Parts: sequence; C-alpha cells; structure tokens
Amino acid sequence: MLLEVFLVLGTVIIYFLFSKKKEETLPFKDGWWGKGQKPDTEEDTTIRPFKVETTEEELSDLFRRLDQARFTEPLENSCFHYGINSVYLRKVVSYWKNQFNWKKQVEVLNKYPHFKTKIQGIDIHFVHVKPPRLSEGQSAKPLLMVHGWPGSFYEFYKIIPLLTDPASHGLSDEHVFEVICPSIPGYGFSEAPHKKDFNSVSAASVFYELMLRLGFNEFYAQGGDWGWLICTNLAQIAPNHMKGLHLNLASVSKMGFTHLLSILLGRYFPGLFGFQEEDIRRMFPFLEKGLYRILSESGYAHIQATKPDTVGCGLNDSPVGLAAYILEKFSSWTDMEFQNLEDGGLERKFNLDDLLTNIMIYWVSGCIVSSMRFYKENLQKGIGTQKHEKLTVQVPTGIASFPNEIMHTPQAWAQKKYTNIVSFHFMPRGGHFAALEEPELLAKDILQFVGKVEKEQLWKKKRE
Amino acid sequence: MDDVGLSLRQRHCGRESQQRRNLDCVTWSSVQAKTSRHVAGDSSKCLEERLVPDQPSAIALDTSTDTQRKLKNLKHRSFEYSQKNAVLVPVAALGVGGILICWLRSRHKIKTIEMGDGWWGSGERSLKGREDDSIRPFKIETSDKEIEDLHRRLDQARYTPHVEGAAFHYGFNSSYLKEVVSYWRNQFDWRKQVEVLNKYPHFHTTIEGIDIHFIHVKPSYVPHGRAVQPLLMVHGWPGSFYEFYKIIPLLTEPAKHGLNEGDLVFEVICPSIPGYGFSEAPHQQGFDSIATARIFHKLMKRLGFKEYYIQGGDWGSRITTNMAQMLPQSVRGLHLNIVFLGKQSLGRLISIMLGAYVPWLVGLSREDARRVYPFMQKNVYDLLRESGYLHIQATKPDTAGCGLNDSPVGLAAYILEKFSTWTDKSFLHKDDGGLESKYSLDELLTNVMIYWVTSSIVSSMRYYKENISKDPNLNAYNRFGVHVPTGIAAFPQEIVHTPRTWAKDVYKNIVTYSYMPRGGHFAAFEEPKLLAQDIMQFVRKVEQM
Repeated sequence: MLLEVFLVLGTVIIYFLFSKKKEETLPFKDGWWGKGQKPDTEEDTTIRPFKVETTEEELSDLFRRLDQARFTEPLENSCFHYGINSVYLRKVVSYWKNQFNWKKQVEVLNKYPHFKTKIQGIDIHFVHVKPPRLSEGQSAKPLLMVHGWPGSFYEFYKIIPLLTDPASHGLSDEHVFEVICPSIPGYGFSEAPHKKDFNSVSAASVFYELMLRLGFNEFYAQGGDWGWLICTNLAQIAPNHMKGLHLNLASVSKMGFTHLLSILLGRYFPGLFGFQEEDIRRMFPFLEKGLYRILSESGYAHIQATKPDTVGCGLNDSPVGLAAYILEKFSSWTDMEFQNLEDGGLERKFNLDDLLTNIMIYWVSGCIVSSMRFYKENLQKGIGTQKHEKLTVQVPTGIASFPNEIMHTPQAWAQKKYTNIVSFHFMPRGGHFAALEEPELLAKDILQFVGKVEKEQLWKKKRE
Repeated sequence: MDDVGLSLRQRHCGRESQQRRNLDCVTWSSVQAKTSRHVAGDSSKCLEERLVPDQPSAIALDTSTDTQRKLKNLKHRSFEYSQKNAVLVPVAALGVGGILICWLRSRHKIKTIEMGDGWWGSGERSLKGREDDSIRPFKIETSDKEIEDLHRRLDQARYTPHVEGAAFHYGFNSSYLKEVVSYWRNQFDWRKQVEVLNKYPHFHTTIEGIDIHFIHVKPSYVPHGRAVQPLLMVHGWPGSFYEFYKIIPLLTEPAKHGLNEGDLVFEVICPSIPGYGFSEAPHQQGFDSIATARIFHKLMKRLGFKEYYIQGGDWGSRITTNMAQMLPQSVRGLHLNIVFLGKQSLGRLISIMLGAYVPWLVGLSREDARRVYPFMQKNVYDLLRESGYLHIQATKPDTAGCGLNDSPVGLAAYILEKFSTWTDKSFLHKDDGGLESKYSLDELLTNVMIYWVTSSIVSSMRYYKENISKDPNLNAYNRFGVHVPTGIAAFPQEIVHTPRTWAKDVYKNIVTYSYMPRGGHFAAFEEPKLLAQDIMQFVRKVEQM
C-alpha cells in the first residue's frame, strides 16, 4: 500500500518537475499559403518597391456607395450603447464624401517607402523607414513594429518619425531606429493566405523570414493587439535574434488557480499577489472592469472566430458598414466612457482623416474578410490551448501599460509568461491604439526600454 | 413551596396590573407559603381549586371582607383567565393554522407576470385622446425604384475568395453566394413574390404607440357546428411571418390537405414582432419579450378573442411562453417547437453526468440520450461555435446590422447561413451549405427581402440586446412556471434538445411531447405537415380535457 502511494507521489512530482516552465523554443512554422499546389521552382525572393495607388473608378465607386447608404435611426438616448450611433455615422459619411481627400491621403501613405516580397507563397507588404541622418559611429537599430485588428501599418505613421529621427522631436537621440512595419498577411496590402491554418505562429515565422531577408540578424520588435501575439511568438521562435520585445498589450491567456485566487482576494491582500496600487485601481471591481467589460466588448471576436466569411461579407460590400464596424472599436477601445457620448468621443483623440485612411486601407484592399479569418485561425480551438501559449518568453521585455486598455494585466501576471521583464510602466493616459493616440508616450517608453537593454547588453546575458 | 404552583401564580399575577399584582402576589404568596400540600402535576387546575386546602389548618385565610372581596375578584379574574385561555388558545391556534393554510395555498397559487404597460412611439406619449385602435387592411407593395436599387447593389457586390476547402466552416461560402446572387438578380421575381405574400390578408393596428403588422387567415369553410380555434403563431429571428405560409393552409383547411376530417379548424393570426418586417420598430429602449407578449395579448383582445391557442419557435417560443405566464386564463394551450431553459442547477449538472451512463435513472429516454449526448460537444462546443451572432447582436446590434442594411448580399449571407446550419448541422461540410436540399431559393430570398425592403435588420437585432442584457440566461421568469396546457414538438436537428424531464421544471402541464422524425430549427418552414399534425394532436387533446 505504502509502495503504491510512493509510486503515485513520485510520478506526480516527476511530472510536475518536467512540465514546469518550459524554456524550449517554439518551432518555426513553415508553410505554403499561395493558391493551389506549391510549384517546384525556387521562390522569388526579390524585394520590390511598391506604391499605393488609386484610380478615378475606385473613387467614383466609393462615392456611389456612400450616396446610396441606408441608415437606421438609433433608439432615443442610446448614444453608443447599442454600437455605433447612426446619427454620428451620417456626419462621418458626409465628411468622407465632401472633405476627405483620398488622393491626398495616398500621397501621405507614400511618404514612406513601401515594398513587397514573396514569402511562403504570398506577397508580404511592408514599410521600411531609415533614419534621415546618423551621428558619427551610430548605427540604426532595426525595429519591427506589428499592427493589429482593426488597425494597419498606418497606425505607426505618427510614431515612426519619433523613432527614426528622435532629435528633431525633442527626444533623446542616443538610440535611433530603422523601422519596419509589415502588414499581417490578410491585412491591407499583404496578400491573404489561400490555405487554412494561418495563425499567429505562421505570421511570426513569415516576419522572421522577412527580417532575415532584409539582412537583420538582431532586431527589436514592438506590438499591440495581434502584434503583441505575433511579436511574442517571434520571441519564442527566434530568441537569439531578438534583442528586446516591447509590448503595449500583454494579455495572459493561461489563467490558473493563482489567477482566480488573486482576482478574489487581490483587493484585500494586494501585496500577497504582487499587485501595486495602480493595478488595484485599474482592475477592481473585477466583475465590472474585467468580466463584464470582456463580455460586452468581445461579441466581434466571438463571431469573427466562428463565422468570419459571413460577418465580413456585408462589410466588404458597404463602406459605411465597414466604417461603422471599425470606428466603433476606435471609440470603445480608446476609452470605455466614450460609449456615453453621442459622437462616441472619436474626434477627441483622433482626427477623421486618420480614421478614414485606416478604413480606406481595408476598403481598397478588400481585406476585411481575410483580416477576420485571423481570429478563427487563432481562436477556434479555444483560448489557452495552443502550444505557444504554454511556453514562456525569455527575451528582455518592456511593457507599456496604458490605462484605457480593454483589460488590465498586472506585472504580477505578465511575469509568469514574460520571465525577463526589464521595464513595466503605467502610462498616464491612452488606450488600445497607443501608437496612433499617444505616439510620444509610446516612443519614450520604447526608447527608455531599448536604452536599458543596450546599456546592460541584456540580450547577451540571457544566453548564458 | 412548589415551584410549579409558584410559577403558575406568578403567571397569573403577571397578567394583572402592577398594583394589583403586587397586592395579590403579596397576599397569595403568604397564602401559598402556608400551603403545605402540593398538587403535583396539576398546574392546569385553576387557582381557585388550588386554594382549597387539604389540610384545613394549613392555610390561615383571612376571611375579612377585604380579602374576601379580593378573593372574589381574583376568582373572577382567574375565571376570566381560564375563560380567556379557553377562548384565546383555540383562536390563536386557528389563527396560526389559518396563516399556515394561506401560505401553503399561495405556494400553489399561480403567479403571473404582471402585464404593466408601455409606450414605444417616438417622443413623448400624447396624453390627450385615446389611441387609435382601428384595424387597417394593408397590402405589401413594391416599385420599380426599389427593384432597380436592389439590382444595382447586387451587380456591384464585392466578394472575397474563400480559403481552399472551407465549405461552410468559415461562414457562408462566397462561391455559392455568387450563385445565389446570380439567381436573385436574374430569376427571382420580387413582384411575383409580393403577390404571393398578399394572398393572405394583411393588417396594421396601433398598439402602445407603434404599428403592429399581422396577417389574419380565416378558414374558407367551416363544417356546421364546429368551433374555429383561434391560433396565434409567432416567428423568430432571422425569420418572419412568411415562415408560416406553408403551414397556414394545413391549419385553416386541414380536410383539403388530408390532415383530418375537419373536426379541428383554425383561424391563424401571424403578427410581426415589433422591429421585424412590416411592424414598426420601437423608438424607445427596453422593448423585450414581456412587452411583446403584452402587445400580442392586446392584439388578440382587439380582434375579439377571449381565449386562444398560441404557437412559437425561436423568439416566438419565448414570447408565447411569456404570454402564457402573463394571462393564463386567455391561453387555451401553448405549443412550442423549441424549449429554452436557461438555468443549470447543480442537480441538473449531476443528472447530465449520470445520464450519459444511465439515462433511464434521470428520466431521459433513449431518444433524449441520443440527442443530448455527447454533452460537451453538442451543448457547449457546438453552441459556442454557433452563438457568435447572438453575442454581437446582444451587445452591439447597431454596429452589426449597419452594413447588412446597406448590402443586400451581406444581408443574404448573414441570414441564409442560419437557414443552412440550423436546419442540419451536417450542412457545414457542404460547399453549398445544403440550402436547396430543404428550401427553394424563392422562399429563402423572399424572407431575406422582407428584411431588406423594410430595413428592419438593425431593429431585429436590437431585440437580442433588449432581452439578453437584462437577463443573460433568459430565465428570470422560469420561476413563474407555465401552467397552461403545453405541447412540445422536439425536432431532431434543433440547435438544442430539451428532454421532457427538464422541460417539466418550467412547463408544469405538458400535455403532449413528441419526438419529430425529421426537421430542424425552422420547423414551420421546413416541415409544415409534421408541425401541423403535432399542433392538431395537441389541440385535440386539450379540447377533450
């Protein structure tokens, strides 16, 4: 009897020892995402310059659709509680028809050099901005910045100059970057995968190949929304090539017993669970700020993770519907309180030109459906079930925690996955779309993070 | 000195006024003190009796007039006491018993949902004058402009190629969608379909500030002496009154369709839920199934019906259930083709776990077990996979519906996806979603057109938010129970299967429960004959009772 007990205990202990924090790397995910069969010929690896273009036909088609838009009156006094308010939407559409100048915005988009290159069978689009000048002996550090949904590479247009030319913007020029902003396959000007199963690990593998093709052996990566997950996966695939990982969203998908306990008791024993005062302020009351918020804001994720082709269909056919769907996120995810405003508070933090340019990228590339498929490919098996979610990240990590992010992740939770957090800062203001809304705050945090990593050569330390 | 006697005395003394008490107590304590004999266990005996000494010499009674008078008073008082005892105790007992009986009966008394009232028109309610309660005939119309606008939008539709091997797993397959749109553009004849829609009489009437649309079909022939049963049938989402067009003739003219000998004939009323089809959408927040139930009761009352049968699936099931809970005296019988039970108790969970191995132990039939298990797969995973629409409509209806109101192709994809998956779960694996195996494109597109020409998709989606955000499990009224005779038709491909034992938690008076041989969620649309037969079987049983 005793023997059995010891055997069982022994197995349990051994199991736990071996199943503890896996430090193994995530394997690189090769694939072929092009149409039909993979050809036997060598893949074309050239990097081709690319320019965003528009035509009269494209514009007149858009205007025709805007003119024929059918709106539904909102319920009285509903503000943004039922979703986007169609009275405000009418104003946006009117601006879109009469003042928004897509030709001019295309020129704005083209101010940075665009490129396309074929990787794993599909054309990957990216923007590559080098610093205008470098000091004596200084080299530009490569920085990969990955967008999310419903964003695009365009979200980084305000922050890019702060990173490539910090001195001209009153920031320290100790570190200067060359920034690479790709479009996730299926988003914007990157070709959409033609095969099933293109998830965040696939995207990370593709971007890894991109960075290697561009000749970068060591680089930094920054991301929020899907960019957070893709960059995290990249850090798990190629930890020896990534000097540092900076995130403005650090979600934790694996919730265990300790998480539950910290939710129940964290308010009363913050120190016990490693919570700081600001954590408490942002997280509690948990039902209201955690659970209900997630439930009320995640309907889009639920339907996109199950029926992307259905929900995206109408949005690819109605620019007004597309705008409504995307703008609602720019409202709620910037500040949940904006739901109580009749205009969703959109123009308080963004200007209509920027918002509509982002929407136009989805419209002219017809990518809304393929952008939604990314949810299904990542979430269809459930949250917390995939291999990469069980692995940790050893790359030096910096986290900028914005107050109006949909759900707050305290450092205590983040460090279970990101074992090498070098900096964790509570940002004074800003929400989900950090790069577009608060480019200066984000740039400063990135700069100080990189400063720390470079000063102590932290990326070398982890290899010991 | 016996304690019992003392306590008895004290009790008696205690009832008196303070002064008296002191006097008497003092007097009688001295008397008692002198009593040597204790009448054991006989505390019920009145004081009088105890005063009678056994030993003449034991008590030194003061036989002065004063004491005599006091004695007399006391005797009198004690007589009152005993009188009071004799009267009060039974009265108290009666009182308590009465309360107990009342409480017990109130537990059995049927609790109904309060009817309340509402106003859904725009702006403030006009307090002057009565609401217009006329019933106005209505004909559906279309125009060249409407059809041209539709064609233009169909022509300019933008599609996204699906991933290879997608079938219907990612949602509506865009290759098949192109075929559907091609039919819609070139063969579908909306004018002809409008005539089909107008073959039954339509009406409008204003209730609680909004125009309620309904069709009212009376039987063309009623056998002599037979009563015509009024039957209210309520649709759901993404359906409409049109779903009932095939079953109506089976109910109004059953003999003609070989269903019965004409002993049971119905006149059918199919309203459109406010916010759906030709019923005006509410302008105020808060329009839920309770408000709908109340409005439909008012409608039936306005049409002159005091008692009627009601039938429903999808939202119709919830609305008719609420109607039965609100005004049971008006509902002769309730027939459902889907049962929603929100609450899962611990007991239910245990019976679910046991039921996988010993279904008979927990009241599940073999057919129940076949339909309910494997539990996680059918009731959790499948539901999660199919409820994305519910989640977004219950939180952001105005966003979700915006593009659909502007793109008929998007609207068709969204709605027809449900007609595929909810008719048969295996249709997910088909490139064409199996749609045309059970329905004709004309029927499917007519239903979509009802949403399109009335621009009602957004208001139809708001219904989810109004109902679910208040009551996420849809079970707030389950505690009221449903006591009217209920008939349940359980279709095999329905999204969730509710066994009779579970349904009994809420539906206390299930008269018929049938396992249908085939059919899915849109029962009236897909299997009108099966459903009509079940309704008749149910009504026949109720009429016999």
